[in-house]
Amino acid sequence: VITYDDVLDAAERLRPIVRRTPVLECDIRGARVFCKAENLQVGGSFKIRGAYNAAAQLTLTERATGLVAISSGNHAQGVALAANLLGTTARIAMPLDAPPIKREATAALGAEIVLFDRHLRTREEVIEELMRDGGAFIPPFDHPDVMAGQGTAALELFEEVDALDALVVPVSGGGLIAGCGIVARAKNPAIRLIGVEPEAADDTKRSLEAGMRVTIPVPRTVADGLQVTTPGELTFAINRHQIDEVVTVSDDEIRDAMAFARRELDTVVEPSGAVGLAAVLEGRVAGVRRIGVILSGGNVDRRA
Amino acid sequence: LITAADVERAAKTIEGSVARTPTSASETLSEILGCHVVLKFESLQFTASFKERGARNRLEQLTADERRRGVVAVSAGNHAQAVARHASLLGIPATIVMPTTTPFVKIARTRYLGAHVELCGADLAEAMKRGRELVAEGRTFVHPYDDPTVMAGQGTVAIELLDDHPDIEAIVVPVGGGGLIAGITAYTSERFPHVQIVGVQSETHPAFARAVAGYTGGTTGPTMAEGIGVHEPSTIAIEIACAAKVTVDVVSEAQIEDAANLLLEIEKVVVEGAGATGVAAIAANRAEFSGKRVGVVLTGGNIDPRLLASVIQRGLVRSGRLARVRIEIDDRPGALAALLAIVAEAGANLLEVLHQRMFANVSLRRADVDLMIECQDAVHRDRTVAAISTGGYRAKLLPLDEL
Repeated sequence: VITYDDVLDAAERLRPIVRRTPVLECDIRGARVFCKAENLQVGGSFKIRGAYNAAAQLTLTERATGLVAISSGNHAQGVALAANLLGTTARIAMPLDAPPIKREATAALGAEIVLFDRHLRTREEVIEELMRDGGAFIPPFDHPDVMAGQGTAALELFEEVDALDALVVPVSGGGLIAGCGIVARAKNPAIRLIGVEPEAADDTKRSLEAGMRVTIPVPRTVADGLQVTTPGELTFAINRHQIDEVVTVSDDEIRDAMAFARRELDTVVEPSGAVGLAAVLEGRVAGVRRIGVILSGGNVDRRA
Repeated sequence: LITAADVERAAKTIEGSVARTPTSASETLSEILGCHVVLKFESLQFTASFKERGARNRLEQLTADERRRGVVAVSAGNHAQAVARHASLLGIPATIVMPTTTPFVKIARTRYLGAHVELCGADLAEAMKRGRELVAEGRTFVHPYDDPTVMAGQGTVAIELLDDHPDIEAIVVPVGGGGLIAGITAYTSERFPHVQIVGVQSETHPAFARAVAGYTGGTTGPTMAEGIGVHEPSTIAIEIACAAKVTVDVVSEAQIEDAANLLLEIEKVVVEGAGATGVAAIAANRAEFSGKRVGVVLTGGNIDPRLLASVIQRGLVRSGRLARVRIEIDDRPGALAALLAIVAEAGANLLEVLHQRMFANVSLRRADVDLMIECQDAVHRDRTVAAISTGGYRAKLLPLDEL
């Protein structure tokens, strides 16, 4: 579906747009850990990478119709920001119970927000209604350009750090790990690619075990950005061949990792962004000396 | 029908009076299109199209008596010029009937080539009525495509192409009435049976493609490939194409436009819409041609200069090198200067500034500024728009149709 070259193309497109986030280093359980701080990315998460890369490749006519997205959080901000940067508008459907901070941040970027009750209407219905007025739909993960864009986070990490034995990536729909995995394999075919999910939201882990996409009930987890019920079709097609293992972490372990990030790395990571770090802290990535971790986002409600 | 021998005889007949146009393998196009592209430059004929081949071959068949009485053609395009030139060279009086709507340049050009031009009727069908009257008076009608000697003449393109590049595996041929593809197919199916012939039509005029599949009609709208904008293709050509199992691809107007731009930028060659359809077909069906050695006939180069200008300009917009951005700014002294400083910092070249308060749908204290800028590519354009947005302005990148 996508190749390493697609990620390189995306990097060229994104170079003037995204922030080259720092790589924060620490020692955990005898391993050197390199954390790619995407929580410090513009928009507070890696999502701008995929959203912008996809939107920038629309034709001018498509682009002028405005971007359309559905998201409870970081993807919404990514798309709103991409629209702003590309000189177009965005209409974004957000569930009523989306974190207020993410809603406000999305609105502040100039996007029009359409609220919906996720208990009353399905995503498909909401998307269909939004698209009735036209627009270019930017999916959160299941799109080649989105995956290629997310892969640029790993590309930057590998440009700064070499000889990694493992790359640890949070998994929701699988877009981030699909793109990052392609880069990791290209840089080091022997690297261990490890996905991390919250215990309650282990749809990708189960799907890999089953050899097919499995749907789980809507999970309850502190990691609000990882509440996907099934992996993407395209992302799963890539990930089933490249992920070595998916490990899970509990909500308490996620909270501990957030505290660790604040204390040891001096940075604020949201629950979804901390699952990779949690897995390393809990020793679920064993037997390796140099570990890359993607801290995928930092949008927490600091007032809470 | 016609045979390879007919085409070879035609080649002998027209030798010396119709240009043997160059063929050349294009390294850069091959890289872009993913196959080995060999171009046949029929746009370099004297009247800038392959039509001279068929017209010359047809005129050469006339008896002394027929020559004396003269010929008639009904055409507003390349066929008119081809007949005018070769009738004139052979000393045969030629009358070309053109619709009254024909652009003046084409009328003047046809007259310059030595033909008597009659303007009659609002379109080709009406002009045809006048043509029939002239034929009834004793002149010989030279059909643009539905004539075996015309087809045999057009087929000589294939002889030259395969002489120069005998390893060609497929030939892509623009199709209107079917004269060219019939001649080429007649030749290759006997002499180079392994060579695959692929026709191309515009999606707005797919009559031949539909005919090969057993349907009729199909014309839906105007095309920039006027040269192949034909409603009623030759039944002989359809029969030849069907017998040889020729496939016909259909390309969109946008793909034709892109192909014309590509040829202009890469090959530095000007082609008319029809002449660009071959490259458009390869670009649209990469998998079909992947890795093959493909001959492409650039059938003609007669494009209206104004249309050419639009093609170039729209190409610049599509590739991001030309853009129009609408920005809302405060209506106060210095606001425009601050905005332009951002554009300068981004390295974009300013072509035009339209500063409007009167017609803008913004508050009284604000103004709309439309900037037309020149950038290096789409990435640079997007970076410039991003710099404007990041500078705190609301910017809107206008699409093609709002330029």
